[in-house]
Amino acid sequence: MAEPLTCDVALVGAGPAGMMAALTAADHGLRVTVVDEQRRPGGQIFRQRPPEFPHQPWTPPAGYPWASSLLERAESATDIDWRFQTTALGVVHEERDDGILLATTGPGGSALLRARRLVIATGAFDMPVPVPGWTLPGVMMAGAVQTLLKSQQVLAAERLVLAGSHPLLLLVADQLRSAGADVAEVALARGLPTPREALGSLGAVPGHLSLLGDSARAVARLVAGGVRISPRTVVTAAHGHRHVEAVSLTQVDRQWRGVGQARRVEADALVLGYGFQPSAELARQAGCAMRWDSPAGGWVVAHDDRMATDVPGVYAAGEPVGVSGAEMARSQGRLAGLGVVSDLTGHNVDVELEEADRSARRARRFARVVQRMFAPQREALADLAGSDTVVCRCELVSRGAIEQVLDANPGMSTANAVKLECRSGMGPCQGRYCETTVGTLVAGRTGRPVAQVGHFTAHFPIKPVPLSVLGELDGDVTSGACAHRHHRAEGSQESGE
Amino acid sequence: MIRTDVVVVGGGLLGCATAWTLARDGVGVVLLERDQINAHASGQNAGSLHFQLEYRMVERGLEAAQVAAEAMPLHLDAAARWSELGEAFGPSLGVAQTGGLMLAETADQARVLEAKGDLERSHGLDVRLLSGDEIRDVAPYLSPSIVAAAFCPIEGKADTRTAAPALARAAADLGAQVSTRTEVVGLRRVGRGWQVSTRHTDAVGNQVGEEIQADVVLLAAGVWTQHLGQMVGLDLPIIPLALQMNVTARTPKFLPHLVQHAGERLSLKQSQDGTVLIGGGWPARLRRDASGRPRLSERPHLLHDSVVGNARAALRAVPRLAGIPLLRTWVGMTTVAEDQLPVVGPVPGRPGLFLATGGSAFTLGPTFARVLADLAQGLEPTIDLAPYGPQRFGESIDVA
Ligand SMILES: Cc1cc2nc3c(=O)[nH]c(=O)nc-3n(C[C@H](O)[C@H](O)[C@H](O)COP(=O)(O)OP(=O)(O)OC[C@H]3O[C@@H](n4cnc5c(N)ncnc54)[C@H](O)[C@@H]3O)c2cc1C
Ligand SMILES: Cc1cc2nc3c(=O)[nH]c(=O)nc-3n(C[C@H](O)[C@H](O)[C@H](O)COP(=O)(O)OP(=O)(O)OC[C@H]3O[C@@H](n4cnc5c(N)ncnc54)[C@H](O)[C@@H]3O)c2cc1C
Repeated sequence: MAEPLTCDVALVGAGPAGMMAALTAADHGLRVTVVDEQRRPGGQIFRQRPPEFPHQPWTPPAGYPWASSLLERAESATDIDWRFQTTALGVVHEERDDGILLATTGPGGSALLRARRLVIATGAFDMPVPVPGWTLPGVMMAGAVQTLLKSQQVLAAERLVLAGSHPLLLLVADQLRSAGADVAEVALARGLPTPREALGSLGAVPGHLSLLGDSARAVARLVAGGVRISPRTVVTAAHGHRHVEAVSLTQVDRQWRGVGQARRVEADALVLGYGFQPSAELARQAGCAMRWDSPAGGWVVAHDDRMATDVPGVYAAGEPVGVSGAEMARSQGRLAGLGVVSDLTGHNVDVELEEADRSARRARRFARVVQRMFAPQREALADLAGSDTVVCRCELVSRGAIEQVLDANPGMSTANAVKLECRSGMGPCQGRYCETTVGTLVAGRTGRPVAQVGHFTAHFPIKPVPLSVLGELDGDVTSGACAHRHHRAEGSQESGE
Repeated sequence: MIRTDVVVVGGGLLGCATAWTLARDGVGVVLLERDQINAHASGQNAGSLHFQLEYRMVERGLEAAQVAAEAMPLHLDAAARWSELGEAFGPSLGVAQTGGLMLAETADQARVLEAKGDLERSHGLDVRLLSGDEIRDVAPYLSPSIVAAAFCPIEGKADTRTAAPALARAAADLGAQVSTRTEVVGLRRVGRGWQVSTRHTDAVGNQVGEEIQADVVLLAAGVWTQHLGQMVGLDLPIIPLALQMNVTARTPKFLPHLVQHAGERLSLKQSQDGTVLIGGGWPARLRRDASGRPRLSERPHLLHDSVVGNARAALRAVPRLAGIPLLRTWVGMTTVAEDQLPVVGPVPGRPGLFLATGGSAFTLGPTFARVLADLAQGLEPTIDLAPYGPQRFGESIDVA
């Protein structure tokens, strides 16, 4: 290979999974470059305030006693080439392929990272649920509301209704209330966990009691504060002229199908929290096989027991392989890091692997229980959209338009075919907002399982960039510096230098 | 066992246009598509309706250009058919023949355009050379570095997103049976017709086999034409090719033409939706197995050089593209023959079997469809197919 390598391992995402993978690989002498869009490590759950904000000690969320030290280690790991405020655009190739080429763009311009392995730890994003009125200003996702609070210390609104099914909703409600907001009501699509469910989850919880305890305490505080928590209730519409003024809430049955009359609750914001979807565009673009796993967030990246995907040299860790919480993300990051280490250096890491495996198994047990307990009823959620509710916000495609296309083209039965025919998913967000709904609608209309309906193909660049950025995508400006700063991997056979 | 007059294999633009043409002629037709309608080249291509010789035809000198120009009768026919189709179907085909420009930035390139124009005019194409000043009037969005351009008024575009599905719907309305998720897995000559073995994936994921008997089989299988050929003992020298395309975010309409370049790979146009499509034949890389055979079921690899090269070519020709967000780059697979000419006509030694592929088969789709429909009905096509028929590959392709 003519061009020098940027690093041994390129890593995208500096959340718990990415930080852990990076530190593990660096500990074993590999040269690591980490790309993240944020300004500091932490990812979503450990999102930090901007460095300019007045200094206050950072407190990790309950249940993650290891968070502070992980962040500290990451922030002081100067042997890792951290590239913040930098977006990974996708994987590209050369006429003769030997290695990974990752295109990025950041404050220093665009760059092409050459690496021997790629670890994708890009996290997750809020699952969108289109209901009538959801495009009004004032409708927000739980993750976003929390991000505003955590990072910018901004309260999204004064009087809020929160609706959804994910346990995060309760934490966010509690955080909003203690920050001074008026939480009008929390509507949970499912019932409160039954004693049977609670018992069933016990086997999975050792080590996570504090986490569950924290949610329970959040509920207790909300109830004590007079906040109405309504189980078996979904939001069926947001109302308002220029902004949310009220929402409609309706009782639902076990399948989340409406029973009875809607009631109106005044609020200036609606917060939706039905869970998360893997942010797997980069993995898809790189060609990794995906697997349908609805409780784990939908389409997840398929991988082996060391987090290797089916694309040679490409690993995935954390939420892209299934939304399973920070504990799991950390364990998988470690596994991926060790997988890369044994792959590249031949070091014997069996003991560490076994340990990482054990903690991953523990985390998985808990994650599976949580996933199943809070799994979204996708058909019922897709049915909340009215015929003229916009499903694809970028291209303004309504549910009615999608169904019309399906009716007019009887042989059409994939998400991609619908995307091509009616532009749903073709806009700047590349379908992050509408894919789930489109897939569910196609499945419902054609009687095929979502696994057959498929997902949208993700394309380069996974986030839009001005054309000029691609014209400049020439080499890695900083690679020289980075290559000198690091020592070479011991026992490495292939080398680009 | 189903019986029909004609089986069409492939639900790209070509298969759909052919099924529609046959159905309109009152012929019984079953269209079989393994995946979805429009899922491959026809839904991925640039949608250029180009009638001038392309860069790939002139880059290898005048002699190669002369061979390529032999396809002009097909192109002239296609230009007329697209405008008829556009009127009949309206926005679902998105036909706009508002003229095409081929750009020159150097005196050499301008000379290529001149020679190319002479050749094209001798074949009956309306094309004229514009000077720099004339270009600024016609196309103020072009870079001042453009010194000359060949203008062909009948060039333009159609909407690749929606054209094939619209034709498939129209075919179905006229009685054609359109089956998706149905793969042709065998072709056998039986009596005076063909027995077509198919495999359909049903809603629960089971594979269901079905036999179809037809008098005639038409192959419109794009890059898989070779596979179909193998089913009847033919080794067709049809070359698979992987290419790259790009699209920008929507932007107010400013680019009414099809824009190509005489000195490099570039095609530009603005879609009905306002997005700008950027292509021009930049290669992607076919996936291959260990022995070098292309793996057509896998998405080709995007090449870094093509991403950068295509962006730069577009920026040089139309500088204002610089700030417009690029939304997507994708890849697709298509076919060419060694001589760059299309491949259309009767399959030698296989009565009742016909095929069409190769070259600008989107542009030529409606013409191929007409020709195949004529052949299927035992009619003499109005265009002499001798130069384009697969018989030109000689007898060595017959490996049965
Ligand atoms: C908004 C939000 C809030 C959440 N809050 C909580 C919470 O309070 N409690 C809880 O238990 N769980 C929470 N979760 C779930 C949480 O994501 C996981 O528990 C955990 O953070 C997952 O870790 P990870 O390493 O897999 O991904 P993440 O922590 O999400 O890290 C992924 C990182 O990848 C970066 N990235 C993604 N794509 C690119 C790209 N193309 N280029 C460059 N960088 C990229 C992102 O900037 C991000 O920093 C939240 C999730 C979201 C989306
Ligand atoms: C990036 C790119 C840009 C291009 N730009 C242009 C352009 O601007 N202008 C132009 O004129 N041409 C262009 N082309 C070429 C053009 O796209 C193709 O020539 C044309 O679309 C071919 O149409 P088709 O219907 O023959 O093939 P396809 O659209 O590929 O359809 C063939 C169909 O056959 C199906 N099939 C295959 N095997 C079987 C089987 N065994 N059973 C059932 N079904 C089967 C496939 O699933 C497929 O859907 C471009 C091509 C590419 C890749």
